[in-house]
Amino acid sequence: MAERTDSRIWVQRGLFVLLAFVLIVVDLVPLDMRPSLWVSPDLLLAATLVWVARQPSYIPVIVVALLFLMTDFLFMRPPGLWAALVVILTELIRRQHREFRNMPLLVEWGTIAFGVVVITVVNRITLAIVMSPQAPLGLTLIEMMATILVYPVVVLVAHFVFGVTRTSPGEIGSRGQVL
Amino acid sequence: MARDKNSEDFIGPIRKLLVGVLVLALVGLFLVWRIDSPRVERLRAAAIDAVVPSFDWAMAPITGAANMISDFQSYQQLRAQNQDLRRELQQMKAWKEAALQLEQENAKLLDLNNVSLDPQLTVVTGVVITDSGSPFRQSVLVNVGARDGIIDGWPTMDAIGLVGRIAGVGQNTSRVMLLTDTSSRIPVTIQPSGQKAILAGDNSLNPPLEFLEDTALVRPGDRVVSSGDGGVFPADLLVGQVALGTDDRLRVRLAADYQRLEFLRVMRSQPHEEIADPDGLLAPEAEFFGPAGINPASLTTSERGDG
Repeated sequence: MAERTDSRIWVQRGLFVLLAFVLIVVDLVPLDMRPSLWVSPDLLLAATLVWVARQPSYIPVIVVALLFLMTDFLFMRPPGLWAALVVILTELIRRQHREFRNMPLLVEWGTIAFGVVVITVVNRITLAIVMSPQAPLGLTLIEMMATILVYPVVVLVAHFVFGVTRTSPGEIGSRGQVL
Repeated sequence: MARDKNSEDFIGPIRKLLVGVLVLALVGLFLVWRIDSPRVERLRAAAIDAVVPSFDWAMAPITGAANMISDFQSYQQLRAQNQDLRRELQQMKAWKEAALQLEQENAKLLDLNNVSLDPQLTVVTGVVITDSGSPFRQSVLVNVGARDGIIDGWPTMDAIGLVGRIAGVGQNTSRVMLLTDTSSRIPVTIQPSGQKAILAGDNSLNPPLEFLEDTALVRPGDRVVSSGDGGVFPADLLVGQVALGTDDRLRVRLAADYQRLEFLRVMRSQPHEEIADPDGLLAPEAEFFGPAGINPASLTTSERGDG
């Protein structure tokens, strides 16, 4: 029993890394080099937040850091800043995930939306302070809104496709400990 | 990680410390990037160089599926497309005739004038591997790099027009900053008026022209070519056509097909030869005008007159 639970966590971790890899590759595929007027949501960020809010044990903090540092490098963003902000946000959510269990989805969604807005604003302010070139404000806002709006969809997909669900109260871990 | 409450109390502070160190390291990397950008950008180029070419197998199915969908869409409009193409072909035949005559005439005139066009302009062709992955940066990665002798700043074209310039070279890959990127600035000339301007990318498909001296001389439809100012680009690479934007600014409709960039030609542009000693070349010799100097030309004629 214990071994099965442990191996399930490792399988889920591998699954998340695989999902992240697919999302990154889809972003990188060169289909149309015309600048777009609209922006698709940052699915990688949404997925990471869903996973951390629901089952934080599936993505260790080092995975979050390495993943977002890699996307910083690949997507030509200033390296390190966005990754650091996402790590801080996921750590705050990770600490709160026990409270999320008893809350309706709307509260969880609101909290995470607030977090996304805050890291986006902090990112822009930091870049303005160090006088580094910035992405257009309109596009950034659209991306932020899209990421927030797509969150419940990602929750559903995570629930039904990847089996990432909230731990129900009273569930115990592999060694009989309280989760 | 599954652990009970007691052990969590024990692990908590250590974990917090490690997370703090992690965040500090990331912020530190950002600060180093801000202070010494070229070094970190080289690191970025090396990282992309190592990672991206191995994505190829993962991208092939996605590209294939997307191509299939676009092919399917074009099947639906097959009839209309066919008619359009036929009409276009008729027009093109007339153009082809005109082009052939002009080519012959041009060759003759060039021969008469004994013009030598820049013979050093050769190309390296590369395949586009990925785009920038972010809607905010307009750049693509091509599969030629330092190994193929690519150097930062070289212009890049597709079959017809200028696409961008090399910005960042790895061992096997290099990044092409497109003309549409917000940090792209290219000196251009507008034909036939010969006005100089700067083509400034602004993340839109038709970049605006800036620093135009006299907008009255420029009309929509005029050809825009690179001007070679500043020694960055060779002159006379086709960029596109002038068009009047909806915001009443003069913009450029790019000649390159940005919808499908697949093969890019990197032009090996050689640096200009510097004329280091302009006095010796252009100005008259110093003793010519000096009070003590004797004009050698008049000297010889006077001697000849004597003799």
